[in-house]
Order: sequence, then C-alpha cells, then structure tokens
Amino acid sequence: MNTNRRTLLATGALATGAFLTGARLTPAQAATMAEIKTRGFMVVATEDDFKPFEFIKDGKPTGYDTELLELMRKSVPFEIKQETIPWTGLLPGVGSGKYDAAVTAALITKEREAFLEFCSPIAESTDYYVKKKGNTAITGIKDLAGKKCGVQAGSAMLSALPELEEMLKATGGKMGEVVQYVSYPEAYQDLAIGRTDYVVNTQINLQSLVQDKPGVFELGQAVSKKIYIAWAVKKGNTEVRDLLDTFLIGARKSGEMAKLQQKWFGLTFNMPEHATAG
Amino acid sequence: MSAADYLALLQGAGFTVMFSVAAMVIGIPAGLGLALVRWARVPVLAPGVALLVSVLRAAPAVTLALLIFFALPRTGLSLGPIAAGIATLALSTTAFNCEIWRAALLALPRDQLDAALAMGMSRGLRFRRIVLPQVARAALPALVNELTLLVKVSPAIAVLGVVDITRAAVRIGAQSYEPLPPFMAALVIYSLIVFLFVRMQRVVERRFA
Repeated sequence: MNTNRRTLLATGALATGAFLTGARLTPAQAATMAEIKTRGFMVVATEDDFKPFEFIKDGKPTGYDTELLELMRKSVPFEIKQETIPWTGLLPGVGSGKYDAAVTAALITKEREAFLEFCSPIAESTDYYVKKKGNTAITGIKDLAGKKCGVQAGSAMLSALPELEEMLKATGGKMGEVVQYVSYPEAYQDLAIGRTDYVVNTQINLQSLVQDKPGVFELGQAVSKKIYIAWAVKKGNTEVRDLLDTFLIGARKSGEMAKLQQKWFGLTFNMPEHATAG
Repeated sequence: MSAADYLALLQGAGFTVMFSVAAMVIGIPAGLGLALVRWARVPVLAPGVALLVSVLRAAPAVTLALLIFFALPRTGLSLGPIAAGIATLALSTTAFNCEIWRAALLALPRDQLDAALAMGMSRGLRFRRIVLPQVARAALPALVNELTLLVKVSPAIAVLGVVDITRAAVRIGAQSYEPLPPFMAALVIYSLIVFLFVRMQRVVERRFA
C-alpha cells in the first residue's frame, strides 16, 4: 500500500510540475518587432507530415522549409523557436497569435488572405493528379470523369477542384465522388489499395511521392492554374512580414533559395517577389 | 522502419502513458469531489456540477484541446502544449470519473451510514472508514476501464503538437509514404499498455479484497 501511494504521489508531483512549467501567465498576442527584440526570440510553427517541405526524419525536423529557416537563423539577431504542430492547428494558431509566423507551405488563397499576411513566395504550385501505376483506365484529364478522387480536407487543392470540374465539363464529363482525408499519407494509402482512382495534390508533393514509390504511383497531368506557396503571419502584423520578406528576397538574390529548391524539389522556380491569390 | 522510427514510437508511448496517468491522477480525486457534491445535494453547487459534467461529457477531446490551447490565451492564461494536453484529458476524464463515483455512492446501502451514525462516528470518520473503502472497491473496475479509454482518446491532443504514439506513427508514414507498418507497431504498443493497466487493476483488486 505504501509503495503504491508513493508512486501515486510522485506521478502527481510530476503532473503538477509539468503544469507549472508549462503555464505562462502572459497574454498570447502575435508579437510586434519591438516585442520580439525585447524578449529575444520569435516563435514559428512548422508541420511534421508534409514531405518534402517539412517532415521528421530520425526524430529531427527537416525539409525545404526547415532548411530555409536554418538560413534565416543566421541572418537575424534574435533566436527563432520552432514548434512542430499538425496542420489542423497551425493556421488557427497563427491567426490567434499563439505563433508569430507559419513557416510552412501555405498556398496563397483568398480565404486565407482574410486573416493572414502572406510573405514573398517560396515555391509555386500547380495541382496534378496521381494514379496507381499501370491503371490504363486513366490516360488523361477526360478519363477522370466519374472517377473517385482523393484530396485533403480544408486544403487549397480541395478548393481548386472546381477548376478540374470545368475542364471535365469541357470534355463532356462530370466530376465523380470526392473523398476528403485529414492528411495525404492516408489518401495515398487508399489510392494504393484501390479505394480511390486518383489523388489531387501539388506537383511538388506528387513528384516526391512518385520518386519514392515509382512502382506504386504514376504522375498524371495538371488539373489547376498555377498558385504560389508562402509563409504567413497574422493579418496586420506587417512588421514581421517585412522582416521575413527581407530575408526571403535576400536568399533568392544570393541564389541560396534556388539551391534548396533544386535539392528538395529537383527544379527551381521563377516567381514574382510578391504574389496574391489569383 | 528504422531503429530511430521504433525509438520515436516508444518515446510516443512514454508521452501517451504520461498524459493518461497524469490526467487520471488529477481526474480520480477531482471526480470524487464532484460526485460527493452531487451525492450530498449541496445547494447551488450540485446543479452546477451536473451542468459542468454534462458539458464536459459532450465536448469531443479535440475540440476541448483546441479551445484550451488557442482560445484560453484570450483570457490571459496561456498554457504550453504539455500543460494544455494534461488539462484537456484531465477535464474530460474528471467528468466521466464523477459519474463512476456517483454510481458507486448511490449503490452504497443507506443502513451502512445509519449504523455509522448510531456508533457516533463524525462525518469525516464516516467517510474515511465506511464510505470510501466501499465505494473505491465498487468503482475500481470502472475507473480502470476509463483509464484504458483515456489512453485511446489521447491521440486527440496531438493537435497541440504533442507527439504521442499515433502522431509518431503518422510522422513515420509521412516520411516513408508507407503508413501501414508504423500503425501496426502502434497497435501492438497500445495493446501492451492497456494489458499492463488491466494487470495492475487485478493486483490492486486482490489487495483490496
């Protein structure tokens, strides 16, 4: 009985300790430049399952965005704390001021511009479809008519699907059922099993997928117009956005960004310095 | 899957157990406290507890976690991911534990209390000697059951950036584009954890009896 009680007490103390160290009695507001300088650090949020932009390899965050962030650390006089958080909570976290910036692959869309300031684009994206290798029923866009489509819920790819619908209408076809997933790994798995006929995602992500699993998946064609991918800060926080922009445009001019693009995507982009939703 | 992947899953298991046990350590006494308030029909407080329990039981863990992590800072209380995760699970399980304790209290025969009163026992002594030992024994299986449910609800707090078993599996799957092996490994780890908790219940039950 005694030992039981002691372990219980120890666990309780541990829990209380975690509570106290975790709690900060300060209002969480997206910090202005002056605040970041006084407190000496900036907090950014990145994702953990969006290869090749951000993912975890052997327990450490890596990918295009993480390496860009490494570069930025060298160019600013304060510390940058990186929090890794799933997509679901990421943009709301920046919108509510919990994090100072979203250092992630956010597609610039109209809906997001309402509550975020987007930085200078870090990549450009066109949505493609991917199919199961050897699926001869799909050889081009028109074959997608009536087929089952997999896409991420709440994603820019989902809101761009009407463009594919238009393309299908032009060929006399109709959009089939759309299945929404919390994240892409599940969507790819279902495609491999045969529960869906094709998955729509950005060209960059699908290229990485097809490169890693050439025996399972096959890249199709473009199903949307070109859109841009950028980091973002809370609406109105232009000071911090300008700081990020200075770094991003600098990295672009020095050629370091192109080097990272080549490393992670196998191609480089010729993008405008500032972009808004189409 | 590499050795580092298995290590990541085991680390996730550590977090899952830590969060579940911490939530339970807070939730068991807190639930008992709330149940006693209702059992004793304390005016004003008792209906308040009933309302609180109804709201907490209805709130999905993910919603509760997002609320605590992202909405609470507006009131000036900003919790870190670990504290917010424990708070989420503790609040949620407190509501369920309250109902478990209440059921055990309601099942306690009235004549036990009358007999204790006839012996001249004070309120505190009555609770410690007569009420608690009996309701604890009656509530134990249901409490352990709640703990195993808690282990399986805990992936919800991954939205806060906490890496539990499930999130570790998601990360490995996202990196390798093969989600099946890490999820199979995760299933085995969850089974082991739940098996251990149930074994502990047996041991405690035997001591009590």
